Amino acid sequence: MFYRRAGLRHTRYQDERQLFPLAFDRGLVLTVLAFLIAAPLLLDRLWLTGYLLPWLIWTSAALGLNLLMGWAGQIHLGYGAVMGIGAYAGVHLVRFGVPLEIAMIAGGIMSAGIGTVFGAAALRMKGIYLAMATLAMQFIVDFVISHNAAISGGTLATLQVPAVRFLGVPLTSDWATYYFALFVCFVITLFMLNVKRTSFGRALAALREKDYAAQILGVSTFRYKLMAFWVSSFIGGVVGTVLAVAYLRAVSPDQFHLELSIQILAMIIVGGLGSVLGPFFGTALILFAPIVLNNLLGSVAATFGLDLPIDMRAHLPLLAYGLLVIGFLLYEPLGLAKLYANFRNYMLVWPFRHAQR
Amino acid sequence: MIATPPVASGPAPSAIASRPDRPVVLSCQGIERSFGGLRALKGVSLEVREGEILGLVGPNGSGKTTMVNVVTGFYPPQGGRITLYGDDVTGLAPHRVAQRRVARTFQNLALFKGMSVLDNILIGRHVHMRPSALGALFYWWWAEREELAHRRVVEDVIEFMQLQDIRDEPVEVIPLGLQKRVELARALVSEPRFLILDEPMAGMNQEEKEYIARFILDAREARGVTILIIEHHMDVVTAICDHVVVLSYGEIIAEGPPAEAIAHPSVVSAYLGERAAKRQRGGAAA
Repeated sequence: MFYRRAGLRHTRYQDERQLFPLAFDRGLVLTVLAFLIAAPLLLDRLWLTGYLLPWLIWTSAALGLNLLMGWAGQIHLGYGAVMGIGAYAGVHLVRFGVPLEIAMIAGGIMSAGIGTVFGAAALRMKGIYLAMATLAMQFIVDFVISHNAAISGGTLATLQVPAVRFLGVPLTSDWATYYFALFVCFVITLFMLNVKRTSFGRALAALREKDYAAQILGVSTFRYKLMAFWVSSFIGGVVGTVLAVAYLRAVSPDQFHLELSIQILAMIIVGGLGSVLGPFFGTALILFAPIVLNNLLGSVAATFGLDLPIDMRAHLPLLAYGLLVIGFLLYEPLGLAKLYANFRNYMLVWPFRHAQR
Repeated sequence: MIATPPVASGPAPSAIASRPDRPVVLSCQGIERSFGGLRALKGVSLEVREGEILGLVGPNGSGKTTMVNVVTGFYPPQGGRITLYGDDVTGLAPHRVAQRRVARTFQNLALFKGMSVLDNILIGRHVHMRPSALGALFYWWWAEREELAHRRVVEDVIEFMQLQDIRDEPVEVIPLGLQKRVELARALVSEPRFLILDEPMAGMNQEEKEYIARFILDAREARGVTILIIEHHMDVVTAICDHVVVLSYGEIIAEGPPAEAIAHPSVVSAYLGERAAKRQRGGAAA
């Protein structure tokens, strides 16, 4: 209906290969982008810093993990640790007076270096065994960070982030940190969209689907597996720094434990592996479903005058949230992005369903 | 049907007569490969000459695919030597073999699911491209020109293989015959000098077989590719091959022009049993 393909006559390859060949898609993306840019004017403080800001940051991280898991097909259960390395490296550099722009990149390189060393396990292992190796990375990094006073400042210490500037703008106001996170998320999204249509992304996808066929086409498994770990960990490190600077403002070791890794993993699985849109949906669901369900339960209890015990009120939303995740895995393993794609495919030819291929 | 003026159309007798004169593309000497106690290849030696279509045939489990896997680097040989255009490639990793402009297809389709036909064929250009993460980050200033230049080459092959209609389809939804053709296109798009086809016609009907046979001959004529083909359909083998090597239990039991090699008594007995071979000999005597 809205997504009309009729009348499109591309005469150049670059027109056909553009990111959003359909005019409606372009309009939709621009509308969402315009809304995100205008958000500080439209929304109050709670929405901006409580919902939109974490959504952007966690989405950026999920996109980074999706490059590794969705594109290259390498499982990673230690992405929280990767982000932790970036966060600590970045914060320490910022405390030394290094500009944030350089500290972010350095944090990314630090994460990429360490992440690739552990990722080298992927050259020998696949699937569940690689999961164990990356899990080991999570625990080793956790241990090293919390037991090394030079890094964490002590087991129970938190490291304050000093006032920083990004491209000359001090990141003190809500809108400045929001735009900072939006910028990072925008760049990473653009990168992921472009990966999809370049030889780099195709090589990773080939490796994921059939590694032997990829090899005889000239794709070196050694090189590309390590590259996938490098790039994904780099993004993780950069986002770790952003998380520390723009959202947490004080880092402590417990913020980068296994929970964070599992949370981001859940985001890309629910959102859609190998999709750019997926992490946006998945992050929204994982971050906000518990809150929404909690409010829903509260209002239901109030309307019907139910006197729920306090522990039940605390656990029911979590239960419903778990059911939601299981439901998605059962009925649409390719996630929310696939649900949207199905809807879009249906609307492409609506109401002439017989025209669907 | 062959558009370009043929030098030697199909299995002309001249091709066989001139076999010794042409330069050697692939030379395998005394290839040994075992899997545990099973000796899959027992000192196999063969040569592929430039511009020819060499048929590698033999009963199931005779070591044809193992031979191809040894040549393309998937199973490094435990003995023997492989040279490609005079360079030693023994035990080289598959992606290094690919860089020497060798392409192959697989017996069981090895297409990349979840990608369009076009993207599948574009991967074939990998050896000619310089993929990098930075290229993707700075797409408009870096990767776009390269992508479009290679797209042009891919479109030539898509036209050559008559795949225009299904370019944008996801590769897993198209019929088997077309999938095989996409895989052949993916191999051709890397502009190989030497192409290995592992049962390109398995599971096909007569019409699809004829299509593929035509494409193989055209690829040789128009692109000057040397081809090694593993095939079970003897009608195809006799029709398009210049030279045939017959393997059985990891040994070469016959070699020569297609019709002669296939009619060789040891080949008949390998395929049909000793009695059939005897009957054939008796028939020939009478």
